[in-house]
Amino acid sequence: MPIATLRRLILIGLFLVIGAVLAIVSPTFLKLDNLMTLLQEASQTGIVAIGFTLVLITAGIDMSIGAVIAVTAMVCVNFLSYTHIPAWIFIPLSLGTGCLVGLFNGYFITRFKLPEFIVTLASRGILAGVALLIAVKDADGFISNVYIQDPVYLGFGGTVGPVYIVTIAFVVLAFITQFSLKRTRVGTNIYATGANPTAARLSGINTKHSIYFVYMFSGFCASLAAIFLSARMMTAMPEFGIGSEMDVIAAVVIGGTPFTGGVGDIWGTVIGTLFLALIKNGILKLGISPYIQPIAIGGIIVVVVVIDVWYKAFAEKLAKKAGNRRKRSDEAEEAVAS
Amino acid sequence: MSKNKVLAIIGAIALLLPSANLAAQSTWKIGYLPSTVGQALTKAWGVGIDNALKAAGNTPLQSLDAMMKAETQVSMMDDFINQGYDLIILQPIDAAALTASVKKAEAKGIPVITLNTDTLAPHFACVSMDDYGAGSKVAEIMGKEIGGKGFVAIIQSPPGAMAGVEREKGFRATMAKMYPNIKIVAAQNAEWNKDKAVAIMNSFLQANKQLDGVFAVNDNMAEGAAIAAEAAGRLKDVKIWGFNGQMSTLVQIEQGKVTGTAYTNAFEQGAIAARLALDVLRAGTKTFAKTQVVTIPPFMATIDNVSQITPNIRW
Repeated sequence: MPIATLRRLILIGLFLVIGAVLAIVSPTFLKLDNLMTLLQEASQTGIVAIGFTLVLITAGIDMSIGAVIAVTAMVCVNFLSYTHIPAWIFIPLSLGTGCLVGLFNGYFITRFKLPEFIVTLASRGILAGVALLIAVKDADGFISNVYIQDPVYLGFGGTVGPVYIVTIAFVVLAFITQFSLKRTRVGTNIYATGANPTAARLSGINTKHSIYFVYMFSGFCASLAAIFLSARMMTAMPEFGIGSEMDVIAAVVIGGTPFTGGVGDIWGTVIGTLFLALIKNGILKLGISPYIQPIAIGGIIVVVVVIDVWYKAFAEKLAKKAGNRRKRSDEAEEAVAS
Repeated sequence: MSKNKVLAIIGAIALLLPSANLAAQSTWKIGYLPSTVGQALTKAWGVGIDNALKAAGNTPLQSLDAMMKAETQVSMMDDFINQGYDLIILQPIDAAALTASVKKAEAKGIPVITLNTDTLAPHFACVSMDDYGAGSKVAEIMGKEIGGKGFVAIIQSPPGAMAGVEREKGFRATMAKMYPNIKIVAAQNAEWNKDKAVAIMNSFLQANKQLDGVFAVNDNMAEGAAIAAEAAGRLKDVKIWGFNGQMSTLVQIEQGKVTGTAYTNAFEQGAIAARLALDVLRAGTKTFAKTQVVTIPPFMATIDNVSQITPNIRW
């Protein structure tokens, strides 16, 4: 069985077990409201995680996603407070914020061959400052958090039936991205760039384009998440999203996309995201101290990675044994023949 | 026959259920959601609320820790709402960010009492310290202490933290109005933290050869400022004021390290919130056109009058 399938089965199994325990212990867990809130929160992280997965497939990392959320939210409230541009125009414009940041990251990574971590960590710092700088201020110069009342904007935090729009967006984005990864040239190039950049370049793939693309897409996803987050909270704060990188990384890694590049897909990330949201909700529901939450998430990452390594070694051992056996029987046949 | 037995048991349970419901009516599930549970102030509120609830025979409080993050607090509000709590006592980390959550709770018939930070939507009640007023009183007293002329600095709260910002605004407005000869030379954010305040106070002291007063918008930061001033040997030249009146700071006032603080009886504040909660739950009111605001006046504690704050009301 391939490791990815095994991991998914284990995760889904654990998911069901934890879900069942919660359903028994907490009478409110299976209520529609609770499940929808759980999905809403998962989708919020999930949208960012989809973009992050692509970066990880190219063996890169994007530390700037949290700060992109903050800056995009600030851009939106500036539009709301100082202009009369309607929301359906400025929201697509603000999604460009993330793409611009991605362009910046991609430029420094490809042009100057800088390590991805350093570049995106630097842009994280810069953006966190920019968010404070461009935040809407009151008459005395203090940052005031705008109370959003624009109906179009708030619509993003709304629901269709019982399902939150952010959840629908997450599902649609997951389908489109998964399809593009597996069935289009762009997707194949991303895998090739991550698996072996030199080989990819020699076979005529423009790896720079792939790198630009994944960072811009990652920025776009973070910006999109910022719109949903601020619509849900009906406000935007300059510290929005900062620190949320860790949740995103955890979701993607639990979902089975390794840091080594060339491997991974969106379904893994979707499962990882749902799993993470379930753990968080469960800790709340069981009344366990929230300090346990990061410990639990860290623990799960360790367990998942250990199973990975262990299963890989186990599979290799099996393959080696089978190879030896074949070799021995071949030798025996040769001996008989001579 | 066994079928009859089963029916009989079901019948008995069905008979018992309504009475069980009636018994549950006099006690309510009340949730407490402060910005973070680890601070002296939020602990004292919790104790105050809990004691008042227990005295009235209600089940104890359930609390969650939002760890100073507005996003976390919003999802915890959702959790309280989904779990069907009867009432929520909330200290909003941010006024605007929690407004949607408060609206959502009250739309589902769950009254919300806010502590210290009001939200932008009308809700049942807000029990608050007088941040602006107390900030302005600190300015009044500090100005008199340094003789109406000199240089002062402010140790700020994080941007967007309403309570801290209101304190600072009150302080600045009164300083400008009453003491035009006192200059505010610096203001920096120490994120409510003692250790950050030490570093910031150090830089204030280095940058300003003469510094006559420092207003830290909470007590932790005032204690930090006192540590830095003492290390620099300038403790007696600088008047350091804090805000809240936690136990450790009152001790430092007695020792002459911190000059004063705007003390509020947090136990009493919690108890008032609890009484309001029980009243509204007994009355069964679900919609509120206007927020009922209860403001607790501060007590300006200095070395001369700090003994009036007896041990039983120190937190």
